[in-house]
Amino acid sequence: MTQLALVIDLNVCVGCHACVISCKEWNTSGNAGSLSDLHPYGKDPTGTFFNRVQTFEVGEFPKTETVHFPKSCLHCEDPPCVPVCPTGASYKREEDGIVLVDYDKCIGCKYCSWSCPYGARELDEKQKVMKKCTLCVDRIYDEALPESERKPACVMSCPPAARLFGDIHDPESDVSIAIREAGGYQLMPEWGTQPANHYLPRRKTRMTIHQDELVRADNPLNKEHYAEPEFDDPSLDDVTSW
Amino acid sequence: MKEIVYKEIDGTSLKYWGLLAGLGAVILGALGSFYYMEHNGHVVTGMTNQIVWGMPHVFAIFLIVAASGALNIASIGSVFGKKLYKPLGRMSAILAIALLAGGLTVLLLDLGRPDRLIVAITTFNFKSIFAWNIILYTGFMGIVGVYLWMMMERKMNKYSTYAGYAAFVWRLILTTGTGSIFGFLVARQAYDAAIMAPMFVVMSFSFGLAIYMLVLFATFQWTDRPLGDVIVNRLKNLLGVFIAAVLYFTVVYHLTNLYATEHHPVESFILSGDTKFTTIFWWGQVIIGSLLPLALLYYPATAASRKWIAIACGLTIYGGFSQLYVILIGGQALPLAIFPEHNILESGFNDGVNGTTHAYTASNPEIILGLGGVAVSLIMVTFAFKILKFVPESLADEVADPHHK
Repeated sequence: MTQLALVIDLNVCVGCHACVISCKEWNTSGNAGSLSDLHPYGKDPTGTFFNRVQTFEVGEFPKTETVHFPKSCLHCEDPPCVPVCPTGASYKREEDGIVLVDYDKCIGCKYCSWSCPYGARELDEKQKVMKKCTLCVDRIYDEALPESERKPACVMSCPPAARLFGDIHDPESDVSIAIREAGGYQLMPEWGTQPANHYLPRRKTRMTIHQDELVRADNPLNKEHYAEPEFDDPSLDDVTSW
Repeated sequence: MKEIVYKEIDGTSLKYWGLLAGLGAVILGALGSFYYMEHNGHVVTGMTNQIVWGMPHVFAIFLIVAASGALNIASIGSVFGKKLYKPLGRMSAILAIALLAGGLTVLLLDLGRPDRLIVAITTFNFKSIFAWNIILYTGFMGIVGVYLWMMMERKMNKYSTYAGYAAFVWRLILTTGTGSIFGFLVARQAYDAAIMAPMFVVMSFSFGLAIYMLVLFATFQWTDRPLGDVIVNRLKNLLGVFIAAVLYFTVVYHLTNLYATEHHPVESFILSGDTKFTTIFWWGQVIIGSLLPLALLYYPATAASRKWIAIACGLTIYGGFSQLYVILIGGQALPLAIFPEHNILESGFNDGVNGTTHAYTASNPEIILGLGGVAVSLIMVTFAFKILKFVPESLADEVADPHHK
């Protein structure tokens, strides 16, 4: 069975929020209607987002590092939000493993939000139904788009290409290779929900550089040493025999 | 024990109409609040994407839990055959229906999409405890309705015991279902505990009886009907046992959590934090809502006074609200442990930044909507007592007490 998912490289993510904005842009103008935004320029802005970034600190000061952690619905293979939904509005698609909400069946009881251990669900303040990442299901199958653009909006927009998209059940897919070779891991696997989205860990690149390697002998930017000759200095005719 | 005569209350006094008008005004306020929240959306409430259930749910769950507890009085008469309780059965059953109706009204009006009620009652996901609760609530209404009919219709009296059994079993399942809404929640530290179900059953005994006693006292006093000490003392002692049982379950619940290291953050948050939840737990639930009413119910000077017993009932209700507030809101206020031991510097989710917990302050419309549910319950009871024979003409000791000499 296909299981589409995102793989996010935390070593590359710089926390620029481009994924957040492009997600909002695509999904607010998509078929499912707008994602509400209230007081966007006010004191307490609030709104619905499918994707947000949390930033946390690792280590003890002063030896700390900052990790940017983009988080959206993880499209769990055993999603806890699906069985709790009283009307069956939350469901997991057989064909590609995407977890979706049927907005027409959602009664807005918010019980799924209680049961998601990742805090990925949001109630749209205006439509009053539960919303979450759809993996841009209206985009990835859109044959009107060139094949190279049939990816979630967040993947398309990520400047350093920290986000990969594909089928994690296909061992030859880019995402499976990345998970396999770069130590991809799931968020809180202890819940047993088997999140489909994976994260690639921070990696340290260590190398030794010697001082002489920092000086370039043939640096083309170096200015040539050139001094204007004095008036009394011998000319070329004076110093040559011909 | 003489034959019990049931009689409608007069319901012609200014006080009666004043009561109806007052309750009606609260209901109108609640409808206005509902309209305001429905029109403007979730954003005008204190609820957020982190605290998704707020004050209306505290009211709704309190009323639903109390509804099944209010039926206990009838069950003690029918199922356990205690004759003293039989005359109290009709009031018990109608109060149970009314409390459930009030609770469901609040729950429904606080749904994101109350207009989709028809979807909720026609499309079931049977894996969902929430869906089961919808069936259990509607079933409770039906079964208690039949039970009431069998108690009130002389020809059907002989079947009332069977209906009483069915209602008793159903109510136990119902409260188990309500408790399991939290017991089955694995994602948050405060829940995921099987003890939630029996704890809610015991809570229902206590809250339901406290409300029942207040309604009983008020009805008999305002209609000048005699109410003997035997019944009052029996109910008072029973309430004391139930309050103590709720405390016992609360202690076991917290001790179990304290034993498991993974639950330590939520326990320290509730039991020893510097937030309002700690204050509400210790002062609201434990001291004012449990220990104080226990003292009032058993200290001889106050135990002999109906006024103090009524105050103890009121404090028990206050304790119940406090308990549900801490369970519901307190459990959500602690952020999800997604990055344990790490300090969150910034969050697009606005949660847990630098160790802060989620804030919740109930907005006025939420509180008024909740009070509207209480008013719906009380107005139903007030009206029912006037149109049908629910209230015994006398519960004096020589009438009600089977052992009276």
